[in-house]
Amino acid sequence: MSWLTPHIGSQLVDLGSAMLLLTCFAIVAQRRLSACVDLFAWQSLFLAMTAGLVAFLTGTRHIYLAAVLTVVVKVVVIPHVLRRAIERLNVTRELVMNINVPASLLICGALVMIAFFITQPIMSFGHLLTRDSLAIALAIVLIGFFTMIARQKAVTQMIAFLVMENGLFLGATSATYGMPLIVELGVLFDVLVAALIAGIYTNRLQDAFDSVDTSRLSELKE
Amino acid sequence: MMQEPTTVAVSLLLLAPLMAGGLSLLIHTSSWLHLVNLASMGLLVMADVQIARTVLAHGSVTAFGEMIYVDALSSVILFIIATVGLACSLYMRSYMDEQVARGVIAPTRLNLFFFLFHMFLLAMVAATVANSLGVQWVAIEATTLATTFLIAFWRRRESLEAGWKYLILCSVGISLALFGVVLMYYSSLHILGDVSSALNITHLQQIAAQLDPHILKLAFVFIFVGYGTKVGLAPMHSWLPDAYTEAPAPVAAMLAGVLETVAVYAILRSRSIVDQAVSPEFSGNLLALFGLGSFAIAALFMLLQHNYKRLLAYSSIEHMGLAMVGFGVGGAIGVFGGLFHLVNHAFAKSLAFFAAGNIHRRYNTVEIDQVRGLATVLPGSALALMVAGLALAALPPFALFASEIQIMTALGTSGLPGAWGHPGVGGPIVLMLLCNLIAFAGFLSRITGMVWGSAPHTVSHGETWSGGHLSLLFLGLLLAGLCWVLPMPLRQLLETAATLLANR
Repeated sequence: MSWLTPHIGSQLVDLGSAMLLLTCFAIVAQRRLSACVDLFAWQSLFLAMTAGLVAFLTGTRHIYLAAVLTVVVKVVVIPHVLRRAIERLNVTRELVMNINVPASLLICGALVMIAFFITQPIMSFGHLLTRDSLAIALAIVLIGFFTMIARQKAVTQMIAFLVMENGLFLGATSATYGMPLIVELGVLFDVLVAALIAGIYTNRLQDAFDSVDTSRLSELKE
Repeated sequence: MMQEPTTVAVSLLLLAPLMAGGLSLLIHTSSWLHLVNLASMGLLVMADVQIARTVLAHGSVTAFGEMIYVDALSSVILFIIATVGLACSLYMRSYMDEQVARGVIAPTRLNLFFFLFHMFLLAMVAATVANSLGVQWVAIEATTLATTFLIAFWRRRESLEAGWKYLILCSVGISLALFGVVLMYYSSLHILGDVSSALNITHLQQIAAQLDPHILKLAFVFIFVGYGTKVGLAPMHSWLPDAYTEAPAPVAAMLAGVLETVAVYAILRSRSIVDQAVSPEFSGNLLALFGLGSFAIAALFMLLQHNYKRLLAYSSIEHMGLAMVGFGVGGAIGVFGGLFHLVNHAFAKSLAFFAAGNIHRRYNTVEIDQVRGLATVLPGSALALMVAGLALAALPPFALFASEIQIMTALGTSGLPGAWGHPGVGGPIVLMLLCNLIAFAGFLSRITGMVWGSAPHTVSHGETWSGGHLSLLFLGLLLAGLCWVLPMPLRQLLETAATLLANR
């Protein structure tokens, strides 16, 4: 394919990474739990597409496998588990937020700038194709971290963890054209098990506390 | 170089917990479950001895196409896993049976407990022997996943809360460590260019000096914060007291004694690579300052505790901080002291948690104020608690005294690394001694208060000998013995491991 010059390829990878970042902001702004899960599924799909693009442009075969597994695990299985968990809950929205939506979005914007600032000195080491993606990956990790602090529902916290994981996966694919296959498989397995465990936990929390609001988890204090 | 017995030993090390875990799911009688458990621990110990012998003779072992790498440092960690694991298995025999008899857990859930316990062991062994830093990360995350249900095993509200907190905080922390591993890979790819082996410790050690210092600094900060969460260093420690309080006693002993040690090992591994490219002062400062901070915070929090399991948990944070100071200050004495401290702390803390488990079962409370007159109610456990308490307060004749003196000596002679301290500057050591005094007073006054006094009339008196007491005796003797005599093989292992890490 002659039209796919490295320049266009690099633009496309940047576009994919930017879409991931955009869905991150959407998750931060979204109050409905089920919509958050949908957004996470979309983000994972963008991730798989970006990974597939990198695999195609660089001819690295094993990234294809990682991309397919991402679709299976993060677009199909995990969202399904989370939706099932939400169906059992009596609350479908984040009612009380520690930090409201506009302030959250502003903070996330600042986090993106911090991520670019931190990675500036080491970006020149990267491959030409995916140079900016490392900064975007770090930004996604930081936003996931922030969401975890700012939101209270167990499901949202789990989604935030999965978003962080997506950011890490983007970092690994873009900066290094994928980690060794055994590591990638292991990481995906861990993420899958973590999501399953979280699904079981939300059920038990619901039974024990009659809520999945983690602010109710306050019996253990100094 | 690879010999037949060592390959067998390495595969046994991984297969024993795996098979035992699988079998546990199929067995439904308690005595068979314990038998499988003890048999697999026995195999683990034997494999560990064989590997340690090979490591002492040849320096390091690689197996299965460089998937496995064991040197003196990982052998020390394996020694801790095997010893505490064995003591734990002995203790579980009486502990779990009593919980089933009292109806706290249904007999049908017993095999689930053993399955998770073996998966936990497997993940820790895998993290210790993995050659690839990526596989090591996967294994350490797997320990989080295996233990979260063990912590919440009683299914009470508090234990669910503790389990959720543990799952979320440790998963997030460890995600940051994965970013560090990605960065490490990013830098090594430039030199090695080979995709599949660029995270292997064996390769990284050879080319470490050529790696880019900027990337490695950033990578180490992420790795340190990530695994530091798992170690329970302040300010990432908030999950730890809750988890240790709610977990069943054998699990708490494994968490405090072994899991923390494995996480420290992961930090040390990355550090040994980073230090070759970046000035060792960078990582040394990070370790020593976080160590001092954790030590001070834990010492102060120990004064506030009215729950004896939380007291032990804060003492864990304190001792891990102390070991970190040893590693951070570095030098032959500092690193040796740090490693020796890890070994001693693992034994003392698991002994303390075993005793605490016995006390909890008899008094049905975790409040220090309600536990009085242990010496008459449970003489054996009272003795174990006193031994563990005196050892954790670093009094002679227990081994923690020896290792703590070594760390203090290192800090006193070389001071904090880099611009933070010059030799002879006494600030850190004064702070350290002061916090030590606070911790000593806070800890011992609580423990002695529990042991003496008049026992409440509601609890029955007397303690019958059971298999669980064997592990109390074993660990207590080990703690007292190691202060006087360090057996030659262990000493050689510790010294070789210290030379691998010493960098000042």
